[in-house]
This record gives sequence, structure tokens and C-alpha cells, in this order.
Amino acid sequence: MAEVEETLKRIQSHKGVIGTMVVNAEGIPIRTTLDNSTTVQYAGLLHHLTMKAKSTVRDIDPQNDLTFLRIRSKKHEIMVAPGNLAFHFLVKSSFYFAR
Amino acid sequence: TATRAQSGLLEPAGSAGVAVLATGGVASSPGPGRPGPLQDETLGVASVPSQWRAVQGIREETKSCQTVSIATANASAQARNHVDAQVQTEAPVPVSVQPLSQYDVPRLAAFLRRVEAMVIRELNKNWQSHAFDGFEVNWTEQQQMVSCLYTLGYPPAQAQGLHVTGISWNSTGSVVACAYGRLDHGDWSTLKSFVCAWNVDRRGLSPRQPSAVVEVPSAVLCLAFHPTQPSHVAGGLYSGEVLVWDLSRPEDPLLWRTGLTDDTHTDPVSQVVWLPEPGHSHRFQVLSVATDGKVLLWRGVGAGQLQLTEGFALVMQQLPRSTKLKKHPRGETEVGATAVAFSSFDPRLFILGTEGGFPLKCSLAAGEAALTRMPSSVPLRAPAQLTFSPHGGPIYAVSCSPFHRNLFLSAGTDGHVHLYSMLQAPPLISLQLSLKYLFAVRWSPVRPLVFAAASGEGDVQLFDLQKSSQKPTVLIKQTQDESPVYCLEFNSQQTQLLAAGDAQGTVKVWQLSTEFTEQGPREAEDLDRLAAEVAT
Repeated sequence: MAEVEETLKRIQSHKGVIGTMVVNAEGIPIRTTLDNSTTVQYAGLLHHLTMKAKSTVRDIDPQNDLTFLRIRSKKHEIMVAPGNLAFHFLVKSSFYFAR
Repeated sequence: TATRAQSGLLEPAGSAGVAVLATGGVASSPGPGRPGPLQDETLGVASVPSQWRAVQGIREETKSCQTVSIATANASAQARNHVDAQVQTEAPVPVSVQPLSQYDVPRLAAFLRRVEAMVIRELNKNWQSHAFDGFEVNWTEQQQMVSCLYTLGYPPAQAQGLHVTGISWNSTGSVVACAYGRLDHGDWSTLKSFVCAWNVDRRGLSPRQPSAVVEVPSAVLCLAFHPTQPSHVAGGLYSGEVLVWDLSRPEDPLLWRTGLTDDTHTDPVSQVVWLPEPGHSHRFQVLSVATDGKVLLWRGVGAGQLQLTEGFALVMQQLPRSTKLKKHPRGETEVGATAVAFSSFDPRLFILGTEGGFPLKCSLAAGEAALTRMPSSVPLRAPAQLTFSPHGGPIYAVSCSPFHRNLFLSAGTDGHVHLYSMLQAPPLISLQLSLKYLFAVRWSPVRPLVFAAASGEGDVQLFDLQKSSQKPTVLIKQTQDESPVYCLEFNSQQTQLLAAGDAQGTVKVWQLSTEFTEQGPREAEDLDRLAAEVAT
């Protein structure tokens, strides 16, 4: 348990990261550092997109698999690390915030 | 009996008669003393009516009875079929984050362990990558130039030489309304003026004929559309009154008025703003500021009357001494307010522009009573919390940034635009845009670093602080004869539109190039950096 917390904390405190979220295989968030409504919104939307990306990669080449997904927008970047039981979403800004 | 009667007893007459008759046969023999031959004779029957036995007569009368005819009527009744059904919505259960204990912790830990290294590596790469620098995606067609879409005017108002003094877009972004009046009159005027509205989304838009015209008995100096009702508009008059019209009712548009009471402003109203009522976010109040130094909050009650709910007064001695002002306070001099802007982040915080050229940071929650002798039904309070460094002349417009909580702009008669941070008194940036007065300044609702200013030289200047902080990015010439542009407003729904009104009585709706309508990739951060340049 402590290990999980530490890992998440390490990722969250990396430069430029706004929020971190871990989602289970059904798309229900397990751990999050964002507020509830944002978490629910991201989890719902990104879960579908991740499944679609995964199936796209496998359809193109069945030996292949999705390792990482990044969505870059004007304001932020969302990084998704997929796994067989959980997905890990990071919402991060790609630019530096002046302190 | 006949023999008995013969014995000579006195019998009633009836039977005596019978006795006589009965012996008649014997008596009628031919003479007494002579024995005749016995003969049989039959005689007729004799009847004797009884004298003592009455005959019971039957008295007859004919009677009939009949029932009244029965009235009948036909009516039909039918039982209705009822079906009961129940529908119930369930309140959306907020998705709760599952507590970790319900989860398979070792598997989660294994997953994170596996993923962490890769994630950190990607984050670092991202951090150092220059791959996407300068890469911009354009989803819509690019518009390179600024063009004038419509030139709107109301000929009767222009014939009277009226200026466009106030402009406002409605909540749906499809109607632009302008107020006519004169900004250079020094004394009381009995001019009738107008408020005109055009619907720019309508196909048959006729530029000389507004879709709604309201005649107003006095010059209107400022205008503001209701934030949610597309047809309600509030205006401040030269006489100090505040009126609210409903443009969807052409025959009687006036909804509410303050009337000329003790509470009304005694000077022309400089600006009106709609504010949500605290506690009722769908109801709104009108705030008006005027050069008599009062900031008043009105609410519409019953029969078309605007009632004062809260009031503030600016008095020279009560201004915070955060900056050295040239004038020394003497007596209870009021400070005239010429412009107001509310912060988008804190609904109780507002900035006032004054005749003395210094912006004031004020709060609706201020509690101190104002030292003023102006009559009022509601106790007046002193709202000012911070005084900023002054301009060289009166301020005509202030605007709070919709993207940063501390930044605001002010523009005045000295031709300068100052960018202030609410944390310090001196401005962050001071730009000279014009040699004449500046009448309006507004932040762009979509680009954090862009603002527009209207100058007395007849042009609208668009500044992009990202490109250049010294000269305007785009200079739009509105009037040909250099008559001033008095007001401008961005359209927050259709972000490429900018409306500006000038002294010739025309309203021009400009279509901006695409660079002004979409936020660039780094703007919010650049704005933060700008705001952080607070001199320590």
C-alpha cells in the first residue's frame, strides 16, 4: 500500500504534472488527485479512446500492442499508460509554470 | 200459508191480499149455499213488494285516476379507464472513488511498478522535446484580414447629430444595441434620444433600419444587456435615471425605472452593469455609477420601479492612502466615478475608474459607512480598499481580465492605457496609444493577451501583447474624418465580431482575423508571467 502511494506521489510531483488518475479495467477510477467531477469526466472519455487506440494497434498487427498514448492539445497534454487491469492517466501541462 | 190466512187473523196487508187471492178460487164459486163442482184453476203469480225490507241500492260514481306522465331522458355514463404509472428519476449518484482497500493491492502495485519507469521517462522526454514548438493546428478556415461586416445607423438620430455613446451585445450574441446621446454637452439637455438594436444574424438586415427602436426622453450614456435574458437592456441616462427596457415589446418597452427620487444619481450615469443577486443566481440587479460619486445597486420590484438595495459613496478622505494623490482632501468632496468593471474571479470585487484619474479597488462587502451628507434610503458605505497610481487625466474605461484574477486595464484622457495588477499601486505597463483621448478599452474574451482600445482619433486599436508590446497589431480606421470612436464591445458568443460606435452615429461591426479569435498554445502562461512581473 505504501509502495503504491509513493509511486503515485513520485509521478504526481514530477515537473509539470497537473493530475494523476488510475482507472480499472471497467473504467472506474481507483485513485485520483483531481476533483471528483473532473475525474469522472476524464475517466469516462479517455477509457473509450484508449480501448479504441488499443484495438486499432492490434487490428493493424495482431502481434503488436499499445504501450503508450499521448493526446496533445493547445492547453495540456494527456498521457495514458495502459495495462491489462488498469490504465494510468496523467493530465499534464507541457509548459512551465512560473512560481 | 194460504190456509192460515184463512183463519181470520189480521195479517199485514200484503199477506192479506194473498189470502184474498188464495181463497178466491173457492170464493168465486157461483153463489153461496149452492154446492158447485170442485174445479182446479190456476191463477197467475202474484208478487208482493216488501215494505219493510229496503232494497240496498248500489250508488255508482265513475272515477278515474291516471298517473302523471313520466318524464324520461337519456343519458349515458362511461367509466374511464385509469392506468397508474410511476416514474422516478434517481439522483445521479456521484461516482465515488473506490477506496484502495477494496482493490487488489498487490496487482495494483505490480502494475504501477511496471508502468512507472516508462511514465517518468516519457515525462522527461516531453519536457525536453522541441518537437511541437511552433506547431499549430488550424481547424477552421483562416481569415487574414479585418473587415467591416456592417455599418449600422439610425438616420433620425444621426440627423440630430447624436453620438453613439454606449454599445452592448446581448446574451446570445446575435443582437447589438446602441445608445444615442451626446458626450460633449456641458449642461442639461432636453434632447430626445434613442436606443436602437439590430439583429446581425437575421438575413434581411437593413443597416438603416434597426429591428427595435426605443425613444428615450433624455440622452442615454451607457447601455448593458442582461446576461441571460436576450431582450432586456439597461441604460443610464443623462438625468441620472436608470431604465430597463424589454426590446421584445415594441409597444411598451419600458420595464423598470428608478424615477427621480432622492436615491437617484444627481449626475449623468457613466456606466451600468448587471450583477447576479447573491443567493439567487438567476436573478440580477443593476449597478450604476455616476460622477456624483455614488455606486448604487438597484433591484426591480413590482410595478416597474427600481428600488435601491445597496449603495456606496466615494468620499475623498476615505480613500486609502496607498498612493500620493495630487489633490488634498478638503471637506467631504465626492469623487466622481466614470467607469466600473467587475472581476470575473471574485464577484464582489470591482474596479472603479474615477475623474481624478486613479483606479480604485473596491468591494461590495465593505462595511465602513461613508462620510457623506447625500440623502439616501439605504446607508451608503465606503467601498474603496486600494488606490492605484493615477493617469494624467480622468479615466474613461476600465476592464478586468477574464483570464487572470489580478490584471486590469484602464484608459483615460491622457491617451495612455495602463495595465495594473491588483497587488500593487503602480501600473505594470503603460502604453501611449493616442495623442487624443481614449474612450474605451476592453480585453478580448478569447485571447488572454489581446485588448482593444477606442481612440479620439477615430480608430480602434487591437493590441496583442504577445506579438508586440509597443505598437498595435491592428489599427482599424473607423471614421474618415477622425471623429472619435466612443465605445466598443467584443461579442463573446461569436468571437470574431467587434462592434464599435463613433461620433457620427454609426455602429460598425468588424470581423476580426482568425488570430484574434482562438487562444494560442501558450497564452495563459505568458499572461501569468506578465502578471508575475510585480515589482518588489
